[in-house]
Amino acid sequence: MQSTIPPTETGREALRLFKENRGPLAMLLALILFPFFVALLDGQGPTAVLNNEIGNARFLQGLLIEIFILAIYALSYDLILGITGLLSFGHAMFFAVGAYLTGIAFKSFGWGVGPTLAAVIVAGIVQALLFGLVLPRVKGITFALVTLGFASVFEIIVKSNEMVAYTGADVGLQGVVVPAAWLNTSNERFRLYLIVLFFTFFVYLVYRRFVDSPTGRVCIATRENEGRAQMLGYNTFYFKLTALILSSITAAMAGFFHTVHQPIVSPAVAGLGWTVAALLMILMGGIGTLSGALVGAAIFRLLQFYLERWFGGNATFLIGLVYVLLVMFVPYGVVGTWQARRLDIQRGRERLLRLLHLRP
Amino acid sequence: MTNLLEVQNIHTFIGQFHILEGVSVDVLQGSITVLLGRNGAGKTTTLKSVMGLTPPSQGQILFAGEPLQGRRSYDIAAMGIGFVPEHRAIFRDLSVAENLKIAERCKGDLARKEEFIFGLFPDLKRLIKLPGTKLSGGQQQMLAIARALVPDNKLLLIDEPSEGLAPVLIEQMITAIQQLAANTTVLLVEQNFVVASKLAERYVIIEEGRSVKKGLMAELVNDQETIHRYLGAA
Repeated sequence: MQSTIPPTETGREALRLFKENRGPLAMLLALILFPFFVALLDGQGPTAVLNNEIGNARFLQGLLIEIFILAIYALSYDLILGITGLLSFGHAMFFAVGAYLTGIAFKSFGWGVGPTLAAVIVAGIVQALLFGLVLPRVKGITFALVTLGFASVFEIIVKSNEMVAYTGADVGLQGVVVPAAWLNTSNERFRLYLIVLFFTFFVYLVYRRFVDSPTGRVCIATRENEGRAQMLGYNTFYFKLTALILSSITAAMAGFFHTVHQPIVSPAVAGLGWTVAALLMILMGGIGTLSGALVGAAIFRLLQFYLERWFGGNATFLIGLVYVLLVMFVPYGVVGTWQARRLDIQRGRERLLRLLHLRP
Repeated sequence: MTNLLEVQNIHTFIGQFHILEGVSVDVLQGSITVLLGRNGAGKTTTLKSVMGLTPPSQGQILFAGEPLQGRRSYDIAAMGIGFVPEHRAIFRDLSVAENLKIAERCKGDLARKEEFIFGLFPDLKRLIKLPGTKLSGGQQQMLAIARALVPDNKLLLIDEPSEGLAPVLIEQMITAIQQLAANTTVLLVEQNFVVASKLAERYVIIEEGRSVKKGLMAELVNDQETIHRYLGAA
């Protein structure tokens, strides 16, 4: 029976928001319950998750935290490359600044979580403004090379012997202790799992809102044809800078969580390879789709983890092979290809159901 | 009547090529003026020079008495000049609604103009949610013109509006441009002489980068010698 009470304006808005986001919300709920499900399968009770007991549930939470951090990082790259069309080869620096700053603030300066987070956000804005300095002057591959230059300088600095007391130079920053017990990955795994999960979800929703906003639409227009966007009266520089700042803060936050979860910061996160990792993740998931970044991060980490576990030293070759096959056969990424072929897939499913006499 | 746009003897280079070697065009407020000439004569470059996309190195361009030189294309657009480039320059990754919405210069521009725009191009209302990639060539051309109508533009620069359109759509386009010209001054480039003669009140012929003849369209249609000499058409 239908309700006769008319929904209020607020109620209607909440219902609309719920309907629009029911997919991500269902995924969020599934991921919250996932550790409990694994614990039950393992013969442990649900309290094992809350009590941080050793087992598959705890281990998989650790792996998922890594995936969430990668997903935040990949989302930040998708915003500037996939949405705004800015090819940066220096994106690793955005992440590494957050990771190193967190490590140095905790270890060398003894800062708490609050001041460190504030410093990470400020650093995120500053480095985006630094990239923004060259934005009006260079475009395309030249911008990519200039950003690579910035990131290379940063990599040289963190690896230099003069900085060994702070960054650990070639060895990396080791022995970082998180000053807040509630953020400790060893003792409070489920809490950290929830924090990083909610943050990933939050970033995804903010990015989706951004893409649907007037500013986001100008970013898409800039990616498609910057000249045309300017002819409509938009100074595209400010829109590209906005995307860079948002992306930089997000990547720096991913770096913050990286150091919190794995209290070792390797200089590899400041290298070109780490930028390529972000590119691979969004290519595999679907460039410019946002949700593709989440899928790409999961594929990237799970492939790496399981192939290394099963094939040891041969894994690198196999991972490379899988990347080549994915790019050849799923050229728009998993989500991108699905979106492009959604209609065909739907028709195919209906044909199959008719063949099986499940639909007239 | 006063001139809304005055292009005074401009010279424009693209790279090392001297494309415009002295083009002068006056566009009267409230009129439709057409640039005529053979392919490669410099008609599109003249429009792009006005928009600041290929800034002239010599000469002067005045819009409502204000010089345009040294201004970026986004500043020129903000002064009230809409540009509809050739080849249906819409944003293919955005929907019809988003393509129109993005052209708003002030909040509410689209809401105010909606009735007028959908009156000119009723098809667009039906296709409002469709992405740009799904539109036909004619629909894309209509959207490109409709987009330039969203903000309060004083002058519209339209490049080849009839290019590649079916005859029935060309007629629809002519009617639409005639209606929009009631509120806006138009400078257009048109290869199709029949379309140009139906639309424009004034013409400027550009030949090898120079403006060589100008006058009233009503006089040109009877001047077979000029048509043969500069346009190669009857």
